[in-house]
Amino acid sequence: MAFAPMGPEASFFEVLDQHRASLLAALRRGGGEPAGRGTRLASSSEVLGSIESVIQGIITSVARNEAPAFTIDNRSSWENIKFEDSVGLQMASHCTTRKIKSDSLKSVKKFALILKILSMIYKLVQSNTYATKRDIYYTDSQLFGNQTVVDNIINDISCMLKMPRISLHILSTSKGLIAGNLRYLEEDGTRVHCTCGSTAVAVPSNIQGIRNLITDAKFLLIVEKDATFQRLLDDSFCNRMSPCIMVTGKGVPDLNTRLLVKKLWDTFHIPVFALVDADPHGIEIMCIYKYGSLAMSFEAHNLTVPAIRWLGLLPSDIKRLNIPRDTLIPLTKQDQMKLESVLKRPYVTCQPFWRKEMEIMADSKLKAEIQALTFLSSDYLSRVYLPNKLKFGGWI
Amino acid sequence: MEGSAVAVCEILKYLIIHWKCETAGTSKGALLEGQLVISMEALNSKHQENTLHCVTTIASAGSIYGGLVLKKFLKEIQSLLPGFSAKLNWTSEEASYSQDISGVTPFQMIFEVDEKPRTLMTDSLVIKNFLHKIVMVHPKIKFNFSVKVNGVLSVEVFGTKNEPTLNLSNGIALVISCRHYVSKPKFATAELLCSRIHPVLGHPVMLFIPDDMVGMGLLGELTLTPAAALCPCPEVFPNQLNRISSVSIFLYGPSGLPLILPGQEQPTTTVFKDTSYFIDWKKYHLCMVPSLDLNLDRDLLLPDVSYQVESSVGDQSQNMDSQGQTLLLFLFVDFHSRFPVQQTELWRVHTLLTTHLSAILMESHSAVQDSIQVAMDQALEQHHQATKDLQKFQASLSVAVNSIMSIVTGSTSNSFRKICLQALQAVDTQEFGTKLHKSFHDITRHRSLPYCSCETKQLLPEENAEENTEDVQENSLELLAGTSGQVENKRLQQGLEETRAFLSARGPSQSEAAACRTKPTAASLTPSGSRASPGGDLEDSLWQREVSNLSEWLNPGPEP
Repeated sequence: MAFAPMGPEASFFEVLDQHRASLLAALRRGGGEPAGRGTRLASSSEVLGSIESVIQGIITSVARNEAPAFTIDNRSSWENIKFEDSVGLQMASHCTTRKIKSDSLKSVKKFALILKILSMIYKLVQSNTYATKRDIYYTDSQLFGNQTVVDNIINDISCMLKMPRISLHILSTSKGLIAGNLRYLEEDGTRVHCTCGSTAVAVPSNIQGIRNLITDAKFLLIVEKDATFQRLLDDSFCNRMSPCIMVTGKGVPDLNTRLLVKKLWDTFHIPVFALVDADPHGIEIMCIYKYGSLAMSFEAHNLTVPAIRWLGLLPSDIKRLNIPRDTLIPLTKQDQMKLESVLKRPYVTCQPFWRKEMEIMADSKLKAEIQALTFLSSDYLSRVYLPNKLKFGGWI
Repeated sequence: MEGSAVAVCEILKYLIIHWKCETAGTSKGALLEGQLVISMEALNSKHQENTLHCVTTIASAGSIYGGLVLKKFLKEIQSLLPGFSAKLNWTSEEASYSQDISGVTPFQMIFEVDEKPRTLMTDSLVIKNFLHKIVMVHPKIKFNFSVKVNGVLSVEVFGTKNEPTLNLSNGIALVISCRHYVSKPKFATAELLCSRIHPVLGHPVMLFIPDDMVGMGLLGELTLTPAAALCPCPEVFPNQLNRISSVSIFLYGPSGLPLILPGQEQPTTTVFKDTSYFIDWKKYHLCMVPSLDLNLDRDLLLPDVSYQVESSVGDQSQNMDSQGQTLLLFLFVDFHSRFPVQQTELWRVHTLLTTHLSAILMESHSAVQDSIQVAMDQALEQHHQATKDLQKFQASLSVAVNSIMSIVTGSTSNSFRKICLQALQAVDTQEFGTKLHKSFHDITRHRSLPYCSCETKQLLPEENAEENTEDVQENSLELLAGTSGQVENKRLQQGLEETRAFLSARGPSQSEAAACRTKPTAASLTPSGSRASPGGDLEDSLWQREVSNLSEWLNPGPEP
């Protein structure tokens, strides 16, 4: 399906097309996408049955005069994480667990809140309605205390039942944006037509529900920051580089943005590139898209896109482009600690070019935002930097 | 006229002060150790109706006193009891004793009075309470106290040797078993998780002597050290919201001697009539009123001052009928001097305190108040924390139970609901909810609290003397209103034998030693109640019956 024919000539995308071909070949060699392990979409009856099974276990303990407890995987412990190149970070099969006891002062509240949220999920699934995490928090904000408590418990429940959040009828609020050559139907039948103009579309709340995705895009560009995304929109980047798709998670991406990127990759297998600041935070955000996060490692198969390539801003670009030194920012102590932490992560070992870039950053002790390119010219990013990178394969 | 009780108590005080001074040079700060035997033997008076002629003997079991000049002792004691009609005597064999080379002298003294049966009963209770108070801070002192009325003998042994204690300064240690302070709760003994109190010591404060008392010639200073504790320990009922229902104050002077004789009108404690003079109760949302319970006849340590919480309408919570906690406050007054403290000086201090404690405490009101308040704050902090934790716990369990109920009652799966109901043996969801709540409560009852580091301790049946019915029949003794914690069967028997042997060897004036047979009564042979039950109710009623019917005493029942 043709979209507004405003992009470069077909030859512009030769390298991209070759890259895509190599990705597809790699996929074929790897036997296709690995089957979804860990969490999988579950039917309503499966969800209800799982919850009833949990309750039954509790009642059995009580009947035996034993204090019931939940056994929860330690999701956020590096000990329980393994790395697989094709998947990214995922939970190890035999991971450490912790007990949430009902007879301990320290954990009785969490024990109760888990049951509370389980009962709410039960009702949502029974009534086939949905609620966001925020909705759940506001049902009894005094009881829950803060949103983070609710978020963690929902993740724990998802991990415990081995069901994705959407199967539990809990939606996360999306903050991401999409623009470019993409159309789809939402679950309720709403047609969404992402444009190449100066406006973007919000990432939908129910990614699993969207269907009939249609695109001509040659690539998908993940943009770390909303400011950069808006700049590109203003510069009509999507039109100039059409056909393409742009996505931003506005910093650390929410679940839906990650799910969308994953869905676009799974559906179209188009090259996915990350445009992040040349700083440890940006690199980490890129790694979340590519390899996943510690907290959501139990859902890695649904969220990670190991095929993502780092397009820019590379630390080596800073020197190559003679970006003025006074536009650079010294690494703070937190930056250095984060950089060291990322360098130790298991996935960096299979990314020697990424490691080299990070070492350049570590040696120079300097970082740069994408906005540093504006010192070369105001539209350097959209007119020169990105087009050259895309045309000549400047990604790692 | 002063009665036997006052005499006995004053004599004991004198002896302990003497003993303390004697041992201060050799083992300062060590606990006093020894045993005393006190016996009261009463027979119907031949000269007066409705009167008993009572011979009281105080003796040491073993030679433990040194340096006691008997004549001086007798003279001084007599001077302390100006209103006491009886003459204090040594036994005839003792009169010629002189101090032996080792400096220790066997000790026994006797006096005789005529008194009404009711007075004798009161005196024995007063003495009992006094002895109880002494052993609570002198765990290595033991008293054998026997009362024999017209041949009916009762013996009690007072001692706290193997009980947990908290060492205080100057050679005393506070016994911290909670059973001396509060009666056993209404629950099974197996559920007692902590049998101790956990006193919090306040900082010692110096007490100023009012100007009009300065001329007493004291060469040292008085200090007051408060100690506060909740009883029972909040650990005992971790899942129960226990309100504070009463306050018991115990006053001790130098050498760990009680400042108050129980049951008497005490000007010493007038300062405590104002319940908030030293303690700001509003801070704890409590309103205290003086308690008017003057009952001497109780198993527990009798407080010198007691308050009750005045309950208000707002307190009508579901736990109002549960046994409340008692706040215990111990005030230890001590005397310190750079010079070796002489016995006479220490006695003067004691006399000063027993007569002018209120004035002395008022003179140092601010300092005393601060010190007591700090100790109370810390002791109650535990209670507050326990209350908060309990509320948190109960709230959480309520959420948990409601959530489970929501799922079970909302489930459309018959098999699931059936399994749940069957698991708790409930016929319907309502019963299921009730049972679920109760089960959670029962299961989580024994959780440990972070602030009580006691080892869990179960009261074992053998510790409760009153439950050993074999000994009842064997000994056939009728006890005074007994204290379960104080009397153990073997010790009881031992105490009886010691008393008998001692009295017969030393030749009491009324040579009833051979006739000191126990007279079993119908009640004492009854397995269920004749041993000292925690309340001692049956013994009390027996005693009442005995003293109310003198004719029965004149015609003793058949020998077994």
